[in-house]
Amino acid sequence: MRVPFFEMFMTSPFEGLQEHAEKVKECAWSFQQAMECYFAAKCKTFEEFRQEVIQIESEADTIKRRIRGHIPKETMMPISNFLLFRYLREQDDVLDAMEDTLDWISYRSTTKIPPELEKDFTLLVDAVIDPIEQLTTLVAEAREYFGNYSENQRVIVKDIIHSLHKQENVADKFEDVIKKKVFNMEDDAVTIFHLVRLAETIGFIADHAQNAGDMMRAMISR
Amino acid sequence: MPNEYYVLIVGYIFGFYMAWNIGANDVANAMASSVGAKAITIRQAIFLAGILNILGAVFIGSHVTDTIRKGIVSTEVLTDPHLALIGALSALLAAALWVSFATWKSLPVSTTHAIVGAMIGFGIMAGGFSVINWGKFAAVVISWVISPVFSIVISFFMFKIIVKLILSKEDSFVHALKLSPAFIGATFFVVVLSFLFKTPLGKKLALGPYASLLAAFILAVSFGFVGMKALGWFIKKREGGAEAIFRRIQVGTACYVALAQGANDVANAIGPLAVIYFLVKTGSVGAKVPVPVFLLLFGGIGIACGIGMAGHRVMETMGKKITALSNTRGFCVEFAAATTVLVASKMGLPVSTTHAAVGGVLGVGLARGIEAVNFGIIYKIMLYWVLTVPVAALTSMVIFKILQFFL
Repeated sequence: MRVPFFEMFMTSPFEGLQEHAEKVKECAWSFQQAMECYFAAKCKTFEEFRQEVIQIESEADTIKRRIRGHIPKETMMPISNFLLFRYLREQDDVLDAMEDTLDWISYRSTTKIPPELEKDFTLLVDAVIDPIEQLTTLVAEAREYFGNYSENQRVIVKDIIHSLHKQENVADKFEDVIKKKVFNMEDDAVTIFHLVRLAETIGFIADHAQNAGDMMRAMISR
Repeated sequence: MPNEYYVLIVGYIFGFYMAWNIGANDVANAMASSVGAKAITIRQAIFLAGILNILGAVFIGSHVTDTIRKGIVSTEVLTDPHLALIGALSALLAAALWVSFATWKSLPVSTTHAIVGAMIGFGIMAGGFSVINWGKFAAVVISWVISPVFSIVISFFMFKIIVKLILSKEDSFVHALKLSPAFIGATFFVVVLSFLFKTPLGKKLALGPYASLLAAFILAVSFGFVGMKALGWFIKKREGGAEAIFRRIQVGTACYVALAQGANDVANAIGPLAVIYFLVKTGSVGAKVPVPVFLLLFGGIGIACGIGMAGHRVMETMGKKITALSNTRGFCVEFAAATTVLVASKMGLPVSTTHAAVGGVLGVGLARGIEAVNFGIIYKIMLYWVLTVPVAALTSMVIFKILQFFL
């Protein structure tokens, strides 16, 4: 029995956003394992982790499509559709960047990270993992903001966004260091290309996390 | 004439059926916000709604009902008691059938609109189009538009106030507790006023408007502070924050809504039944008909039965769908809806409790208080509102003709 009163209520897209953010976090763990495996030359489980990441990315895509497909035109939310979708897009791009990195590595098994760059790459990967962890917190805190519109809460959200900026800066610096070193290596052009793009793609993870933060900033603006 | 007693019994049956439908359809409007926000369980909701609808019907429900709802149809159609009897019966049955059909087909429909439409149908059959008081009809139609708007406005501002004064503050719990007398008091204020203005007991006290306002104000303030003290005793843990405070207050407003609903909706079922009753007992009926308390009780019980029996079907939906309303939001919705209904019924306007409840939710949504709410329902409600009156009227006319043939 459909009662008109109930038809006004729908599943909140924020629920979906949180779910999606959880997937991103889950993926980050597998991604980190995969990268550590890649850096430790003797590791055999890279492909296993890569498949995990692909699986998680596919599940996240389902969530993303579910959110996008279930907001009727007449829905009223505290934020506009547009902002919500832009945020979701950036959050999803974080996941895509992780998958792309692992795919990129898998295209050429002969590329080995030179020992002088190992530390730099590890630092870069650590630097991009940090922002990912923040995304789940960001969504949760933003949701709480829409629950009470408290100025303190808003400041909390802005602080997280601010730290996403800082972390992205840090990741950028590591990326620059790597690229500079690689271009000055004595090695074949393909390896150089492979490594440079690898650093870049890892860097995208932090970039998209920062963008997500910017989209969230727009969402909480008054 | 023994014939007429059969008619009376049939009238009772139709009246009960109509009241049952009202209960089944409208239970959600009153209680859903509270159940969804987990202020009360579904069982408690059904129990409370039932009891309070009866209380609202008996104590605040109109003791004098216009024979033909709000004078929409001129009373000259009542001069022939035989015709009037058939008309009242057909109106009751037509409205009840339309509401049942709509419920079965999951269409949003207002029981108030249905009975008004049915009455118009009867009027047209009895006296042609000229007996319809189109001016009054227009006034009623306007009230159907104004009541959701009124509800939207109240809930919008109520939520903005709660955000500004309580939610956005650092220690929202403390602010909620300090301001709770205002919210509790506001609820009591309107309920006490309704008692004073509408019930025979209240009218006997015959306090003028100013004295009534003052009395209501004093009672409201006292209850408000008593409420605050009670909240202070009962809520030791502060983790729930302001929401925990409003959860308790919300139970009160849910009761308030059920009360208002009983008061407003009982007339939809009992109005025509009272007409039938008086026609059978006294042979004629004037422009106004005194409604005996037992009929109001009968109607209230009918509504309660509808709530109890249909409550099952509504149960699942309530639990699943209305998680969007936290206690503060739910309070705003219920307060707005109940106030709208009580004020409108005080003004003698038949108002749709569905519209008031929907308006309440929309008001909070407009105030950015709900994560996602589907406005689309407005269009649906408007469509079926436009449909209900003519369809109920047509059904009533058809049944009238059939009954006229047999009686």
